Amino acid sequence: MTDTLHRLLRTPQGMLGLVLLFVLLLACVFGPTLAPYDPDAIDFLGRFAVPGARHILGADQLGRDVFSRLLAGARATVPLALAATLLGAAAGAVIGTLSAYLGGLWDEAIMRTVDAVMAIPGLLLALLLVSTFGGGALNAALAIGIAFAPGMARVTRSVALTARQADYVSAAIARGESGGWIVLREMLPNVAAPVIIEATIRVAFAVMLFSTLSFLGLGAQPPLAEWGLMVSEARPFLHQAPWVIVVPCCAIALTAVSFNLLGDGLRDALNPRDEQ
Amino acid sequence: MTPALSVQGFTLDYTTRHGTRRVLDGVDLVIAPDEVVGLVGESGSGKTSLAWAIMRHLPRNAHEVAGHILLGVTDLRAAGPRAVNALRGRRMGMVFQDPSTALNPTLTIGRQVTEVLTYHRGLSGAAAWHAAVDALRHVHLREAEALMRRYPHQISGGEKQRVVIATAFACQPELIIFDEPTSALDVITGARILALFAELRRQTGVAALYISHDLALVSRVADRVAVLRDGKVVEEAAADTVFRAPHHDYTRRLVDAVPRPERRLVFDAPGEGSLLRAEKIAVRYARRRLFRAAAPPATHDIGFAIRPGEILGVVGESGSGKSSLARALTGLAAFSGGIQFAGRTIAGPRDMDRDYRRAVQIVFQHPDASLNPRQTIGQILSRPLRLYGGDPRSVPALLEQARLPADYARRHPHQLSGGEKQRVAVARAFAARPRLVICDEITAPLDVSVQASIIALLLALREAHDTAYLFITHDLNLVRQIAHRVAVMRAGEMVDLLPTEALSGAATHPYTRELIAATPVPAGT
Repeated sequence: MTDTLHRLLRTPQGMLGLVLLFVLLLACVFGPTLAPYDPDAIDFLGRFAVPGARHILGADQLGRDVFSRLLAGARATVPLALAATLLGAAAGAVIGTLSAYLGGLWDEAIMRTVDAVMAIPGLLLALLLVSTFGGGALNAALAIGIAFAPGMARVTRSVALTARQADYVSAAIARGESGGWIVLREMLPNVAAPVIIEATIRVAFAVMLFSTLSFLGLGAQPPLAEWGLMVSEARPFLHQAPWVIVVPCCAIALTAVSFNLLGDGLRDALNPRDEQ
Repeated sequence: MTPALSVQGFTLDYTTRHGTRRVLDGVDLVIAPDEVVGLVGESGSGKTSLAWAIMRHLPRNAHEVAGHILLGVTDLRAAGPRAVNALRGRRMGMVFQDPSTALNPTLTIGRQVTEVLTYHRGLSGAAAWHAAVDALRHVHLREAEALMRRYPHQISGGEKQRVVIATAFACQPELIIFDEPTSALDVITGARILALFAELRRQTGVAALYISHDLALVSRVADRVAVLRDGKVVEEAAADTVFRAPHHDYTRRLVDAVPRPERRLVFDAPGEGSLLRAEKIAVRYARRRLFRAAAPPATHDIGFAIRPGEILGVVGESGSGKSSLARALTGLAAFSGGIQFAGRTIAGPRDMDRDYRRAVQIVFQHPDASLNPRQTIGQILSRPLRLYGGDPRSVPALLEQARLPADYARRHPHQLSGGEKQRVAVARAFAARPRLVICDEITAPLDVSVQASIIALLLALREAHDTAYLFITHDLNLVRQIAHRVAVMRAGEMVDLLPTEALSGAATHPYTRELIAATPVPAGT
């Protein structure tokens, strides 16, 4: 574990990704405390204040400080995107490994179902699920997790198929181990590396998807300072006060980029062929 | 006379994450024109690194510390990339271990052979084509014209190795390096490749460096043998002297470890009755699909019985169905027919209850693959104990039984050497207190000295637990040392099943006789 971290820090992408994520973590934990203003405090005289000494990143249509809202919003955006990805990755990894282990007709049945679900675009599926379950941040996270599971299942299955052929799985079958043990204890730890890498890349998608749902009014509800919601609310004033929309957009992009960088770094660090 | 190749005081380091490691240490080696020198060493001794150093194809982290490599009078270390390109293939060639990866799967055989001729001999079009056909005929490939148009996957392993050899000889080089050219082939094909090599050598008078871990084989092929250990040449002598009168301690140990059929290691007779009786076992892998006919079965109706405490050897070339038999007996492959065990008939994997699975254990060929890389040795060994009602605290005892230190329980498989890993795999099988252990080529990936210690371990365990073995191997010499009876398999059928003493007799299948003739007998016997 420490060895992996060490190798991760030696790759430039991994290093940069980790630094950016650390900043993000600080924003999630201490965001509201660090914020110079109350993120929800309305100030009619300070509407559309230009970024400057008073408001570092300006103020929005209600005079709320954009920088404070950005810091407070990290907590509403990033943890839920992470949770959604973890849910999707865990479900997908188990389904994919199980499918590879069962093989034959079961494999066909599971993977064709997965294909059918994958045929629906992720956003559309998430929209469908949210409109079924009802809106709200938690439901949006759940919907994103479900939308991610088929893709993760595909990735996992392709790796698990090679693990299925390995002699340690044969040895477990010959020993008379149960299917659950073989899938969870013998195969899953050996397919973890690619799943972790794929998941870090998908966190970025989750942030964007979550923002998109909020933007469409199906995720977080106003007046919460969620980044996607901030973009959505600032849209009518795009020409009047561009900073109000540009700032949360940049935050979303930067989060996506930092998770992508971490994923790239992990791909190199977890590659056992780089042992030498 | 100038030697074809002369290596003087060559020292090579690899830089790794954990520091610098010396791979070759002051190696001196001279090959005269028309001479074949065998280079013998165990894995990690640096023999392949030396081959790549001569071919000027070292990995990026290699660092040449000292010494010279001369091909004729050309200093190879001083040659630039362009000069090296002109030398490779033209003045020195190489034949690789695995012909299936040495040929490019996306190019026809014709393209790959003519490429060398166009590049080095300046032939073009029809002239190159005819020269290539000649080269293929020269290595006794039938229908060379048709072969030129085929792709590597359409020809057999032996044919592929002949194509590689034809390519290496095509430009009449001064030196050819053979890197274990027969170890990926089965015994009979390997013997034919060796006969071809002897013939080509007589015709062309090429100098050759023949690299192998197999002392028995090298002593028959080479004029002189150099023994490499940890990057140092510890002994260099004429081939038959190395075997008859090894000088260095290490060589003597290597020679002693080579299995010799006349030196039996098992003297007792097996018990009475039958422990397990296989009746008409047929394994079929692919079932019939919608658009595809069913594949022919991997084994046809095989029947045999194993007595308690018996060692039954199973020999045959790759694809003969040996492993399929092992997979059927352990419930890894569906089969038709039945297994009589402890008074009941088992008709399929579903009938195998816990008692049967406990009593019949399997050890696989590659310990790297059969031990889960994410589990510790302790976890791996305690699993059968939990499953079959043993005491999980007896892991140290299991390790001791396999002659491994008790603190290995905390290690992961990748921290162990190949031989140690195979000991763990054997210990895992014996944790179930089995009555029959199926050994599927368990010594094939190991060096001879390690192989000998694994065999000694198996025999000691048999002594202590009276276990029977189904010993699957392609090494006839080894099986004749330990087995009570030997079964010979070919194309899914058991062509012979006889006591080991009767193997060299006349009443055997023609295939068995061919197999015995093709098996290299150690020199000096």
